Amino acid sequence: MLADYRDTIYHCLKCGACRHAYEVYEPICPSGMKYGFDSHYAIGRISLARAVLNQEVPIDAELMRRIYTCTSCGACDEQCHEAVGVDPLQVIEELKWEAVESGMIPPEVRDYLKHMNVHGNPYLLPQEERGAWASVAGVPQFDGQEYLFYVGDVGSYDERGQKIAAAVAAKLMGCGLELGVLGAREMSDGNEVNRVGERGLFEYLAKANIEQFDELGVTKIITLSPHAYHAFRNDYPQWGGRYEVMHYTQALAQALEQGKLTAGEARDQRVAFHDPCFLGRHNAEYDAPRLVLEAVEGLELVEMERNRNNALCCGGGGGNFFTDLLGAGPLSPSRVRVREAVEAGAQVIATACPKCFNMLDEAIKAENLEDSLTVRDIAQIA
Amino acid sequence: MAANLEEIRGALEAIVGRANLSGDAPDMIPYIKDSYSTMMGREVPLPDFVVMPKTAEEVQEIVKLANQHLFPIYPRSFGVNIAGSALPYAGGVVLDLKRMDRIIEINEDTMTATIEPGVTWGRLRKEANKKGLDVIPIGGPYQTSPVGNHLLTNITLYSSKYHCDRAVTLKAVLPNGEILRTGSWASAVGGEVNPYFRYAYGPDMTGMFRGSLGNYGIIVEMVERLRPVAPVEKNVFFGFEELAPCLKAMQAVERLEFSRTCQASNSSMTAHLILSPHRIKDPEQRQKLLARLPNYQITLGLGGTEEMVALFERVANEKIAEYGGKPFCLEPEEMAILNQVAEGASRGIMHMYAPCSGFAAVIGCLPITHVAEINGIVKQIVGKYDLRDPLSGEPLDHQLIVLPYDRCSTVYVEQEILYDPALDQAQLLPVMQCLRDCYAQIVGKYGASHTIPNKTLMKNMLPSYVELLTGFKKMVDPNNIMMPGGPYSLD
Repeated sequence: MLADYRDTIYHCLKCGACRHAYEVYEPICPSGMKYGFDSHYAIGRISLARAVLNQEVPIDAELMRRIYTCTSCGACDEQCHEAVGVDPLQVIEELKWEAVESGMIPPEVRDYLKHMNVHGNPYLLPQEERGAWASVAGVPQFDGQEYLFYVGDVGSYDERGQKIAAAVAAKLMGCGLELGVLGAREMSDGNEVNRVGERGLFEYLAKANIEQFDELGVTKIITLSPHAYHAFRNDYPQWGGRYEVMHYTQALAQALEQGKLTAGEARDQRVAFHDPCFLGRHNAEYDAPRLVLEAVEGLELVEMERNRNNALCCGGGGGNFFTDLLGAGPLSPSRVRVREAVEAGAQVIATACPKCFNMLDEAIKAENLEDSLTVRDIAQIA
Repeated sequence: MAANLEEIRGALEAIVGRANLSGDAPDMIPYIKDSYSTMMGREVPLPDFVVMPKTAEEVQEIVKLANQHLFPIYPRSFGVNIAGSALPYAGGVVLDLKRMDRIIEINEDTMTATIEPGVTWGRLRKEANKKGLDVIPIGGPYQTSPVGNHLLTNITLYSSKYHCDRAVTLKAVLPNGEILRTGSWASAVGGEVNPYFRYAYGPDMTGMFRGSLGNYGIIVEMVERLRPVAPVEKNVFFGFEELAPCLKAMQAVERLEFSRTCQASNSSMTAHLILSPHRIKDPEQRQKLLARLPNYQITLGLGGTEEMVALFERVANEKIAEYGGKPFCLEPEEMAILNQVAEGASRGIMHMYAPCSGFAAVIGCLPITHVAEINGIVKQIVGKYDLRDPLSGEPLDHQLIVLPYDRCSTVYVEQEILYDPALDQAQLLPVMQCLRDCYAQIVGKYGASHTIPNKTLMKNMLPSYVELLTGFKKMVDPNNIMMPGGPYSLD
């Protein structure tokens, strides 16, 4: 209930710390940067929440459009939590939940949820095709191996995601890790469903996943996506789903430490790592991806100005990867981000998330940077 | 305005582009509330539009349109609005200037930056540091705007050395849409070459805009004074058990003329800075820290060569000791936050209001002679209304900050009464009454002056002064389009 967050809403100082990253002093909110009006920053969304709470305005699709451009990247929390102790994101996500409950959601969100309900994935593709990439790549089905390699919607159905999934699986197996995938049995982890406020469907998916994991004897999970990593690690335990969860970069960093990963070579490449929000800010993992990259011979790791806890979101979180409410244009965060990578002198922008990969890949084309910058997943570099 | 709203929308769209204008309620609601309006229970209407211009020319066009259709304009720079100064009291158009965010020049010779209103202290500091310079920043947070601050109080920890005002010259769009440039920039022939001298061609027009809160026009560019960064810069901290000797020591040490920054504060403020926003909620931690803190402290910023700083520190120690003060040091992480705040434009300064973020500020500028007395008066009035600490529920110990002007010729005193804005209006009433009582006492008895005018304070001013203040407004803004209504209007 929004009323449960009354103190948070009223304790917003209206100081605007949520707009710029401290010590970097550059824009940090992807939607605010894109649209400019305060309604697209946490500072304004809190005002909207207060107006809703006090019944000064109703929740409607127009109001919620300002709320749903939030990518749940957590940048506002990162700034505000330290400054005045307020966590705006929980208020924003509570508003999304109330909107879903009252049916007042933008059509793009409605369609996404409908697809998830009907098809179990946002691509409207049959469940049987979910593991097709694994058969081609020679990744075994899960059958009691030490690790379940959980791939998720983008890795399973998206062409670029499938390539990344295959590269990650190959790299992990190359380190001697015994793993298997669920293939056609895999279900969505539900993180994005949760982030757009459909908590009922998320709970259903989580419980179904937990039931299946437990039936199959899964105890250790390596995820392709930071989004699934976040859900398994932080949300599933409330329904009894307690597993040893790792993002694949953590598994690779561990393998590196144990001498099981022989990192490849790069020919004098300058690489900037783009911190995925659900790996970095939401789960404080900044080092593992960098350790893996730094192990690559001939690779020079450069940092973009906004990095680690101050990294700029690619714009794909909070369901925006599927709903595209944030839209395109020169100020879209992914385009700003690739320009930032170029400014940092990078030739490659490395990611550890298939959603980020797609967003940045499209942005490179939109910016006509194909000759100077490419996006690659860490597994495709290391 | 309602009659020709669509016509105005079309004209505004033509000026700024469709993406930079909104008349939708969800976009406008965030611009009508702030801490002040909540405490005062003040209802502010929705504006008709929020507009985000990018250039001075666009601002000019908007202002001309406002005169044509007689709609009010409420400009805001980076939009850190906590004191009700940029709310659209009479509807009309909110001019959100965040997109005007260019740092046009950082000039190493003149030690100035030419900036637009959407530039923040933090960003300017970052760019100035690249050239071996630094801002002379507000004591407040990093994400505020130097231009916005010039229109408000612009208090700095450097006020002893640089007084309160670091604006050199400015370019403003007057309420009739014409461009005004001030100081040496006013010259039509050489102004663009030399916008770096403030006191040129008669009265100080740059100063006219200070504290004007947008009534006289919209600053679209400002030349801001920067400072050189010394080879060694260090902050030193001294503790006192009583306020009176602390203030005497401040006066004495400031008259030795070597400090870079100077401020005095009480332990209530220091505890908040160190423990907020999270640990302050733990009464045990708070009590333990308060037991280690002196009741009052002086923070001095020193700068120079290594030898100079060592000498200054020794002299400061000796002078402070004459008044019973002692250097104090806390744990490294505690000192880190105090050092951060001591440099101004920090994140840490927001801790003083956190975690409830409700504060009523009693502000006065006056000789240091009366500071201890007005501190006692505020304490007494806070007690009279039985105001409680919003976290502990114990009797409220207000926060005290004293910043000297011009080597302590006068001081800026700010006393913060913290409250919880989540309380209902009836519970907030005593805070408001307490604030009014405090002002009535310190303005009436001690002549403490505020840094900005508002309608309540203007009742206390000489008629001739008010006539000039409002007369100038009438002259430059005959249609009263800038900031009408509300407490800060000079109409």
